Amino acid sequence: MSTPSPATPALALTGIEMHYGFVRALDDIDIHVMPGEVVALLGDNGAGKSTLLKVMSGAHKPSHGSIRVRGEEHSFGAPSDAADAGIQMVYQDLSLVEPQDIAINLNLGQEQLRKGPLGWLGFVDRKAMRRSSEKELDRLGVRTAPMTRPVEMLSGGQRQVVALARSAIRVNGESQGILLLDEPTAALGYEQTKNVEGLIRRMADQGIAIVVVTHDLPLCYEVADRLVILNRGKKVADLPAAGADRDHVVGWITGSRPSMYADATAS
Amino acid sequence: MTNSVSNSGATVAGADSPGPAPAPANGAPGATGQDMPRSVSVLVFMRDRGIFVLWGLLIVAFAFWCSPYFFKVDNAILVANAAALTALFAAGVGIGIMTGVLDLSLPGTAAVASCVCGWLLTHGHATWLGLAAGLGAGVLVGIVNGLITIRGFNPIIVTIGTLSVLSGLAAVIAGGYTFPGLTQLEFMGTHRYLAVGDSFSGIPAPVFIVAAVFVIGTIFLTRTRDGIRLMAVGGNAEAVRRAGIHADRYKVLGFVISGLLAALGGLVSTANVTEANPNASPAIIFTALTAVALAGVALTGGRGSLPRVLVGALILATISNGLTIRGIQPYWATVCTGALLLGSLLFERVLQTAVSERLMAANLSVHQKKV
Repeated sequence: MSTPSPATPALALTGIEMHYGFVRALDDIDIHVMPGEVVALLGDNGAGKSTLLKVMSGAHKPSHGSIRVRGEEHSFGAPSDAADAGIQMVYQDLSLVEPQDIAINLNLGQEQLRKGPLGWLGFVDRKAMRRSSEKELDRLGVRTAPMTRPVEMLSGGQRQVVALARSAIRVNGESQGILLLDEPTAALGYEQTKNVEGLIRRMADQGIAIVVVTHDLPLCYEVADRLVILNRGKKVADLPAAGADRDHVVGWITGSRPSMYADATAS
Repeated sequence: MTNSVSNSGATVAGADSPGPAPAPANGAPGATGQDMPRSVSVLVFMRDRGIFVLWGLLIVAFAFWCSPYFFKVDNAILVANAAALTALFAAGVGIGIMTGVLDLSLPGTAAVASCVCGWLLTHGHATWLGLAAGLGAGVLVGIVNGLITIRGFNPIIVTIGTLSVLSGLAAVIAGGYTFPGLTQLEFMGTHRYLAVGDSFSGIPAPVFIVAAVFVIGTIFLTRTRDGIRLMAVGGNAEAVRRAGIHADRYKVLGFVISGLLAALGGLVSTANVTEANPNASPAIIFTALTAVALAGVALTGGRGSLPRVLVGALILATISNGLTIRGIQPYWATVCTGALLLGSLLFERVLQTAVSERLMAANLSVHQKKV
């Protein structure tokens, strides 16, 4: 693998098209995210945000276009391919196993086995998993609850943190992983939203590239470095979050403001 | 070893005492890191361990009411033996439900297993071969059930279908009759072990089998990677799949375990009467389900523990034993069990609501403190 220079995007999609029959869900989309950058993907319902996210996570195969991860061309046939390339998706439903405790949820799929004969029999080392989970959560600056607490006894904000942390732990093993977040604050109250925003920022500071799909404009301004706005399957705006005019952004989202790329799409 | 049995209860109960180190105050106070109120721990303990308390109360009540016959070692062995078969099938149904499937084909699997074993034994094959073939039949049924179900069919309908197929197959193997006189199997049926002279007549073989099944099963489900994943698949199969695990394989594994236990149950009941009977009695599954439901294993999957299932089966046997000693008609035992089951549902609902309310209150109070 070539060592990615700072100028190489962690994830770059070019010319992505997605057709469902005659419906064009995505029309010639270019989007990239740099290591340590938070890109907010905005758009009204049906604008194609979720479809684009699914293309990035490998759940959908685009009709046209190329996907580059850290400069290397990839073709995702399944979400596991994307995971192998260092891309983790945090679903809106969080995908946590509620009756199991935090440590198990964080380690699901990469459980640590005991050493020696018990390990050969498949016995897990719960203590080691608890220790490493605590260490990882400390590193992310989040301490939710004892690692032995079942997820069903956590509050919504704590669950969101566990789900984010699980993905963060998984991409941290890779050099400069990529996180895709689907509406991370949709079900949270004010204070919990603040906590999650802080966590997203810290993950980015550790070099993780993050794409956030959201309806929550204040969240974008809090955490995002760049805003990418979709409207009816087309990219209509791509601009730095700092200084972006709120009315303009809303205009792009609703479609009342013409695309930044009006010339390109007209031709 | 505070949390040796249940996956949820013990960990929660134990979560309070060691607690976390105080949250790192590096300017980033994650999500609210408060600890659980004591009252919630007590309620959760009652929810997860209540059935053990209930059984203890039943034993005390019967010990006085049916004195002096009930509270004796001999009677305890009777109860254990009576509970053994129910417990085996309940383990099968229970593990199925924890994995997220309701396997209704158990009686058919049991009948086929005992008929396969009976056929081999009456045709002069070795005992071990008969038993192995019977258990193998159970595994095979589990694989078939699993492979059909993961194609996206409803497990209840699929297993009703296989139940019908299997009970027919069992009758075909038996040629419409039964296989009587299987005395070779007595060692795992009515035979008693560990007898001490005249004072103690020994413990019947099925009790040992049940003990082994529950110990191994509990360790498997709470201590091993595959067991934990199995429970996780029952809790949220999609989450497990997204974690990069072949969730479907674990679904099939759940069916295989439940088929294996059903076959074992069929073989033990065959050994008890030294006769292989092709009649698949649906009553088995309902008794087993009663024990499982009494144990508070949620039908939604992912929750529950085998020790509780065992106690559920024991409670059924205890009630029927105590009432029999008092000379009360056996029909009343069923009435009692049913009433107990409904009562436990109500109890669980009340506890669950109390837990959620208290948790909500705890989260809210923390919220207010910070603002």
